[in-house]
Amino acid sequence: MPFEVINKKVVRAQVSPATPVLARRGAMLGYEGAVSFRPVSGHGQGVGGIVGQALSGESNRTMATEGTGSVLYGFSGLYVTVIELNNDTLSCEADRLLAHDANLQSSVEFIGQGGIKAAVRGAMTGQGLFTTRLSGTGSVAVLSHGGTFDIPVRGDVVSVDPQAYVGHVGQVQVDLSAKVGWRDAVGRGSGEAFQLKFTGQGTVYVQASEQKF
Amino acid sequence: MQTYDAHSLPENDNVNSYAFSIALNGRWFVSKGAMIAYYGNVSFDAVTTWASRDAHIAGKFSSPIYIQDWVVAEGHGKVIVGDRGFDLQSFDLEDGNLTIRASNLVGFETGLELKQSIVPGFVTLIGTGKFLASSNGPVIFAEPPFRADPDALLGWADCPAPSHHYDAQWMSASLGSMLQGMFGRESGEERQFDFTGSGTILIQSTEVLREDPALMRIMEQQTALLSPQQAGLLGQRLVARSQQA
Repeated sequence: MPFEVINKKVVRAQVSPATPVLARRGAMLGYEGAVSFRPVSGHGQGVGGIVGQALSGESNRTMATEGTGSVLYGFSGLYVTVIELNNDTLSCEADRLLAHDANLQSSVEFIGQGGIKAAVRGAMTGQGLFTTRLSGTGSVAVLSHGGTFDIPVRGDVVSVDPQAYVGHVGQVQVDLSAKVGWRDAVGRGSGEAFQLKFTGQGTVYVQASEQKF
Repeated sequence: MQTYDAHSLPENDNVNSYAFSIALNGRWFVSKGAMIAYYGNVSFDAVTTWASRDAHIAGKFSSPIYIQDWVVAEGHGKVIVGDRGFDLQSFDLEDGNLTIRASNLVGFETGLELKQSIVPGFVTLIGTGKFLASSNGPVIFAEPPFRADPDALLGWADCPAPSHHYDAQWMSASLGSMLQGMFGRESGEERQFDFTGSGTILIQSTEVLREDPALMRIMEQQTALLSPQQAGLLGQRLVARSQQA
């Protein structure tokens, strides 16, 4: 069941026994019907998921919404973007996830090639080394500061400020480019030394702000 | 970009989502600090000073705890108000009653009477008139039966005061939260306000709240129910909590 956009900061999800919803803890604003909430630790499935959880420190963040009814979600006055996945894959930083269809497969992973580069990227964006990957068919609501806009990736290289990056959908490769010179080392850099480069076919979601939350 | 003057400013309507223009012809209660600008001959005096000037007006504001945070705007002109860049909305009450989070009430006509709600941090408006409420994001309306996150709740109208609902599944799923619940501590999602009956519930898009200075005074008032020993124990726990934070 797709999420219904109530306003720029709130979505409504219809919950049924066949379609539970996973959401960030503390994001429920109100609900109608016989709905219950259960803390869930462990985002992904399998050992990889659990290890990913432990490494990324992203456990104890989510809750399952079960039962029959409709639930309003919003968080901290942040803007909400609903992304419909149709047999597709979304990658985004875990703390940007407001809610998503529980039927989507989720896993925690490095984006990009891994290794030292990915670690550097994680350190730069300041939001952990890991991203959460959701795949399948269903709705995802992601948080942003000031709303998102999407940039299509069609073979060309799209560069995004790591702090403004929200997520991406589709067959997209991510690479971090760092042009760190001596100016950056002494604090006289342009502030744009690090950029995320996207190539392939898909969409990148970007927020119009460099503020993290 | 539109430029406004005293005549082109809206009459009792929003200038934009975040500012409201009151066409003042008489008196309004306005939250302290909400006034942004005004045209005309308007005076702003603390509600407390009205007790000696016009007991009728002061009597409309029946909450000693909140009275210091409010002023009376009197005169003729256009008063523009705003609050933290939150969305502002005006509502008309006709011989009704509406309870709203005190820190989200920005102003109201003197035809309305304000009383403190039983629920801490909320006030009730009774009578006929216009009032202004601020909210983080637009207001969402819901009808009972409905359960709301206490922090996202903006207010309710015409329905009975809510009761607490504890999510049994949440409590049993996590032994930790059950233990905490026994000590009165909560993580946030296990408790909701349960609304029944008929009426309207107002919800805002977020749980981020402004610190309400009056809330502490209300809590302090309620500790009068405790015995001296209990009060001492509570004091120790609160000191421990403030040191943890």
